[in-house]
Amino acid sequence: VSVVEHSPLEERITLIELVDRVLNAGVVVNGDITLSVAGVDLVYVSLRLLLASAGTLDRLHPERAETA
Amino acid sequence: VIGAATETAWYVYGVAEAGPALDPAAPTELVVDGRLAAIVGRVPLAEFGEERLPEMLENREWLEQKARLHEDVLQAAAAAAPVVPLRFGAIYRDREDVRRLLASRRSELEGALERIRGRVELGVKAWVDRDALSCTLGGGAAPGEARAGSGRAYLQMRRDEQRLTGEVSARCAELAEEAHRRLCAVAVEGVANRLQPRELTGRSETMLLNGAYLVDGDGAALRKEVERLGSEHAALGVEYELTGPWPPHNFVEVDET
Repeated sequence: VSVVEHSPLEERITLIELVDRVLNAGVVVNGDITLSVAGVDLVYVSLRLLLASAGTLDRLHPERAETA
Repeated sequence: VIGAATETAWYVYGVAEAGPALDPAAPTELVVDGRLAAIVGRVPLAEFGEERLPEMLENREWLEQKARLHEDVLQAAAAAAPVVPLRFGAIYRDREDVRRLLASRRSELEGALERIRGRVELGVKAWVDRDALSCTLGGGAAPGEARAGSGRAYLQMRRDEQRLTGEVSARCAELAEEAHRRLCAVAVEGVANRLQPRELTGRSETMLLNGAYLVDGDGAALRKEVERLGSEHAALGVEYELTGPWPPHNFVEVDET
């Protein structure tokens, strides 16, 4: 099978789909409470976590871990 | 006192076209201003407050759960009316502030609602097994298979390997470009998002294309094109994955004019 179809309503939406939609797309507004990571892609927040749990990011990309 | 444990704020999920069909399920509510209806929900400042939020964002489980809720709320609303998705984390102190948001960005939000009316977003990801592609391009020999008999043979083998790696990368770029071009041709609009690294996808294959496409109706033409690409590229070890329909997250960017 070379094409796999997923309907978001039928199954659990994966984090990788949420990253491209909820976290990194959509209209940006200036709320009263602003995310302190403003200006930094939220994906790096979650990515950093994933990588940090593997213990690799800070070692490989200390500068990114710093700014994320 | 701001920051007290029981205090709440309003989280805005998206802005829909106001109308009788729009009937958000509790715990979400609407803040209506003219034709625009913000879909909002109360959130505790203990999680979404200025001091707490950065910490919460570091909690992957929490982030994933809230992002999923955000998506669920938008999908429910999108079934009833056109909805402009907001990006994660739009938080206001009270409903009057949300109303001011609607008023101050009215023309832009109404324009976005018009553009997405009767349309949905479909996601297309393509994945490639680079080893399989390498085998195909290299005529079946796995890299490094030949025995290095001498120094010269070894150097030649390394050069062949590097050339093959370069060919695989070039072919991957070509395939991604072709797929995106063909999918854009059957969509209203298309965007190729940043490729996600393996650490995030958790898959052994490499992501080749991370596309999102705005389509009319249910996007039958695009679905057909994805199937065609899938069967054409199957022999190269490329697999296509179609997701959606989604609310049009990737197509509500506003011009900076």
